[in-house]
Amino acid sequence: MEIWRLPISASQRGKLISAGYTSLSSLSSISSSDLARELNVSESEAMNILKVASHSRGSETSNASCSIVEVLDTFQWWAGAQSAWDMLHDEESLMHITTSSADLDNILGGGIHCKEVTEIGGVPGIGKTQLGIQIAVNVQIPNDFGGLGGNSIYIDTEGSFMVERAFQIAEACIEDMSEYNRFLRKDFQECKIKMQPQDILENIFYFRICSYTEQIALINYLDKFLSEHKDVKVIVVDSVTFHFRQDFDDMALRTRVLSGMALKLMNLAKRFSLAVVLLNQVTTKHTEASFQLALALGDSWSHTCTNRIVLYWNGNERYAYIDKSPSLRSA
Amino acid sequence: MARLANLETEYPVLDSTVRNFCASHGIFSVEDFLIHDLYMLAAFAEQNNSSERLKEGIAQVLSIIDDMHQPWLNGMELLEDAKRNKHVFPTGIQGIDLLLGGGIRVGQLTELVGPSSSGKTQVCLRTASNVARNHLVLYLDTGNSFSPQRIAYFLGKTINPSSAQAKNQFLQKVMSNISCHSVFDIFAMFDVLHQLESYLRCQDGRGDCQMRLLIVDSISSLISPVLGSSSTQGRALMTSAGYLLKKLAHQHNLAVLIINHTVGGEGGYSKPALGDSWKCIPHSRLFLSCDRGSNNYNVSILRHPSMASGKAARFVI
Repeated sequence: MEIWRLPISASQRGKLISAGYTSLSSLSSISSSDLARELNVSESEAMNILKVASHSRGSETSNASCSIVEVLDTFQWWAGAQSAWDMLHDEESLMHITTSSADLDNILGGGIHCKEVTEIGGVPGIGKTQLGIQIAVNVQIPNDFGGLGGNSIYIDTEGSFMVERAFQIAEACIEDMSEYNRFLRKDFQECKIKMQPQDILENIFYFRICSYTEQIALINYLDKFLSEHKDVKVIVVDSVTFHFRQDFDDMALRTRVLSGMALKLMNLAKRFSLAVVLLNQVTTKHTEASFQLALALGDSWSHTCTNRIVLYWNGNERYAYIDKSPSLRSA
Repeated sequence: MARLANLETEYPVLDSTVRNFCASHGIFSVEDFLIHDLYMLAAFAEQNNSSERLKEGIAQVLSIIDDMHQPWLNGMELLEDAKRNKHVFPTGIQGIDLLLGGGIRVGQLTELVGPSSSGKTQVCLRTASNVARNHLVLYLDTGNSFSPQRIAYFLGKTINPSSAQAKNQFLQKVMSNISCHSVFDIFAMFDVLHQLESYLRCQDGRGDCQMRLLIVDSISSLISPVLGSSSTQGRALMTSAGYLLKKLAHQHNLAVLIINHTVGGEGGYSKPALGDSWKCIPHSRLFLSCDRGSNNYNVSILRHPSMASGKAARFVI
């Protein structure tokens, strides 16, 4: 293993290489104070480097000395891999978040899936923000009614979150639930709706960001936030593309930042078992001398989400179709 | 390449006299040793007092270096290895198998390139379900797009359901052979690949169920965050990832399937992402695309060791 595969900063790596340490075995027998002296760095930095190196090396040597019999059992164990059979059973127990539109739920296979990043795009005015608010409210439907009973995080970049509208949606949702209650459980009077619209609004954590650096910082911070608030089940980002479209001169930087952000969101979705919903704008693309609407941010971004739904107008009605999904049909 | 000071514990010949002599010529590590002119060094050693020790020291370092390179192989050994180990795995999709003359080959890196939603993940899932009947499969997933339901669906299509229980048992047996791991940055991928390497070293030589397929979906999402900044580390990581995958494929007889995406090139045509440095790393590259609104997919060969590039085929999943 080579030094430069370690996740340490470039200056530390440069110092290590110029001092002659190019492989991990050369770091194995040195103490942190010697290393600090030779590299001219502080002792805590040297300890950090050694820790990272021994961690990467430890995972290698511990496997090398295993016996043959153990190996077969450890195939599924190492590094948190899961077999497809286990995942199939896990998936069957995952719930979906309903979007309150029966047709949309149908093509989505029940609703928005957890542990996946779903991107929803459409022309302005088609209802993406409304859909986002609806999802943030719907995730709080308690388990008894077929919902997830979780909280939600709403990240707003455009400022289009209207609290009054959210209140209306929350009221409508509660009305729906009580009707459902009355319809199905005519005999049981004790299952009253205890939720009030205020409770629903309390459970939406709202963040407003004004620049792309804030957006990146927030996503980095979400890691800590989610470990404290384990109830969060959905993250809605309204217009993930807004800050990246204008004023961005360095395209390469934009690609790097966006792909890094997408990977972090994927990581959050997987680790905390929540759904991530990203709302996106459309742009026109010139293909074969005709103009076609395509989602903003280009091909590299479209590659990074798990599912993609595009909303469009057809006459006076709104339509949705699934653009990309690993397990659902195009519809 | 270690520092000479650290090698002293293993090889006591390299004691302080030898090291001081080397230091006087600016040699601190084995790497520096290689760069130097050895004849000049030997000549200086002659003139020195303790020339015997110095010559022993130099010889020792040279033997250390000798141990480091791979053994030589001649053509016959390569051919035997190819016949015995390097099989071809059918992907299960007729169009692709016909195009590739059988399927994907063990010991080679095959890359699937295509715009978004062109069927790349589906091809990987299909191949995984096919290979998993007899061998172990590892799926490295960066986008949470591994779908066990799809695999169950593909497997269900290929067998006759004699009874629900038999089908269940079959599904369980085959799907336990597929192991899926989520990686979200390139360093995590290196960790997993190194663990895989140690695991394969333990496992090689045992007859039964062995790992034969490694899928990375998708390598471009892992590399894009580090590529292109002012430092060259991104490109170094990319090429070393490519070499590590190729080494794993060849030494441990794996077929490696990786997914890349496309970016816009000049004239509006899409070209594969990750640039020119990546272009020569995979052994074969296939370009996939999808006809809008239908189930027909097109695949064409961009690069292949034994097929002409430019050939195309259609397939349905």
